Amino acid sequence: MKAVFTFSLMTLRMLFRKRTLWGILLVILLALAGIAAVPSFDVSNQGRFVLDFGLFGIEVGALLLALGLAANLYPRDRETRTLMPLIAVPLSRWQYLLGRFFGAALIQAAALLVTCLGLMLILLFHKLPIPGDLLPATLLIIVEGWFLLSTVFFFSFFTSPPLNWPLTTMLFIVSQMSVSEFVGILPSAPGLMRAVRMLLPHADVFHIKDPIAHGFEIEPVYFLIAIFYGLCYSAFMLSVALAVFRGRDLK
Amino acid sequence: MADVHPIQVIDLSKQFPRKKGLGTVQAVSGVSFNVQQGEIVGFIGHNGAGKTTTIKCILGLLKLSEGKISLWGGAPADSKIRKRIGYIPENPDYDDSFTPMEYLSMFASMRGLSGVDEDWMKLLKRVGLARWETTGIRQFSKGMRQRMSLAIALQSNPDLLIMDEPTGGLDPIARKEFREIIIEENRRGASVFLSSHILSDVETICNRAVILAGGKLMAEGSMEDLLGEEHLYRITVVSRKTGEEVEETIPEADLQNRIDALRRDNLPIVKVEMALKSLEDVFLAATGKDSQ
Amino acid sequence: MRWLACSLALFIVFSVGSGCRTDYDIADVAPEEHLESEDHHDHDHDHEHENEHEHSIDEEMEEAHAEGPSGHVHGAGERNHGTQWFFNQPWAAPFIWGKLFRDALTFLFLAVGIFLVTRRRRKI
Repeated sequence: MKAVFTFSLMTLRMLFRKRTLWGILLVILLALAGIAAVPSFDVSNQGRFVLDFGLFGIEVGALLLALGLAANLYPRDRETRTLMPLIAVPLSRWQYLLGRFFGAALIQAAALLVTCLGLMLILLFHKLPIPGDLLPATLLIIVEGWFLLSTVFFFSFFTSPPLNWPLTTMLFIVSQMSVSEFVGILPSAPGLMRAVRMLLPHADVFHIKDPIAHGFEIEPVYFLIAIFYGLCYSAFMLSVALAVFRGRDLK
Repeated sequence: MADVHPIQVIDLSKQFPRKKGLGTVQAVSGVSFNVQQGEIVGFIGHNGAGKTTTIKCILGLLKLSEGKISLWGGAPADSKIRKRIGYIPENPDYDDSFTPMEYLSMFASMRGLSGVDEDWMKLLKRVGLARWETTGIRQFSKGMRQRMSLAIALQSNPDLLIMDEPTGGLDPIARKEFREIIIEENRRGASVFLSSHILSDVETICNRAVILAGGKLMAEGSMEDLLGEEHLYRITVVSRKTGEEVEETIPEADLQNRIDALRRDNLPIVKVEMALKSLEDVFLAATGKDSQ
Repeated sequence: MRWLACSLALFIVFSVGSGCRTDYDIADVAPEEHLESEDHHDHDHDHEHENEHEHSIDEEMEEAHAEGPSGHVHGAGERNHGTQWFFNQPWAAPFIWGKLFRDALTFLFLAVGIFLVTRRRRKI
């Protein structure tokens, strides 16, 4: 695991030095500031509005970060041939994948925590209350971001980055749908659609912006189950990505 | 024991799917050879002969279509075996945002090596990058990236060095330095498998050579066997058509017959001299490119 | 390794074969008390309407936008009318948390299985 740890740090340092991270982070923070600038009817409603759309903004930010950080990692490694000396000698393919994933996941998590802090500052600036579940909600979004990151890695092993963006975004949207909504896309083949939906994640598990915005209490055990679900699904997605990667010839 | 060679390739075949249309392209076909302990083996062939494909099969980067490859009797995918290998890829590249020192430190950690910065400084000095240890790789020329690649390959004192065109694009001085390092590593006990276009390099430092053409093994043997003890002679005659002098190299056994034939044709023989057989002659003869 | 692949397939069939419709379409599988919980929260609107003159202009605008028969919004932590969709999400449906946990374990098992099977194939 030391090799994975070192390679994760290497990935983290590399991504930290790229402009992509800072660009996306700036866009999210500007969007959050923009949400707070929208005039609202009263103080209590503005609080809901800022929290609801703020958390939604952070969630979209998780998607942007996943794509911006990871969509080009493997294709670029192949194109520039930096992959060869890594895979040929010190690293196995699973170590390469995990190293890249953990590096990107750490930096994505740090960036999302910064956006959460940004949202808190905006709430404070507008003298709005900060709900206690805001940080746990951000943690759930971070886990959702890791699931998206694993999806980006999966697609990156057999598609180009321009195709990775719409595919991951499509999966992100589809995974929000209930089973009946999903079957409704192709009602003539309900069995097939049900089977496909079975393997797709249920991203609604990570959505707690509504209850937080409306002041509902969420049981701590739910956070634990949702985080466990997200981590397990990410592991599944990474294993499928690894299966694809292991089957590939590195010409 | 035959199966403990650092590299043993048995009936290796590799096909790739065609980029356009159906079917496959046969990149390597039925190739067998081995690299014995302590040898420097040259791997030569023209562009597209299948050298890089073979090397990538040896390193486990490509799946074999047929055949078997063993490294010290084990599978190339075995991590313990891979730790004993140093590899220089063709046209190596590294992440631009790091310096050589950072790269060496990270590779050392990934390999589980216990070296410190001073060790890596010595290594960089050895490959000619002493002044560049904290310079971003983005500023490196192709030759400097090759040196960087050599440093990474040598970092673990490997038992087997696999080099794919390591001196391609280097100036003569750098090529000489590379050759010297390869010889030093061999003296240390490392076996070397060197793929190169530069036949003079192979002829100078290799004990044996494997010649590949069209994905097939054309010749294999020690330098003495390939270059042979048979003397070659170069006959210079004046062409009847152009009036210019034309040279022809032939083995000693055929010399008299050829002179007789030229005399019968009334072609004026300018001179007959002994010619030294080079690896280039062997390569051209083996790959069928000497018909002209 | 064939036994592993077979057991993996069987595990998938038995664990998720019961149909995920019953797992996550909360509106379909929710117990009655969950679906009717909106009624439990029902209260006397007449009383509120009596105090209508106390509402600020902002509150009246808010009510005009709110869902529900009486067109008003409740305070933090209270259910509003016509927002059942809002509670048909996993966070509000403890009766599916066990299934969520089971699915997580299924995906974890699949991940480990795929990792081991593909590693075996790669070595050959």
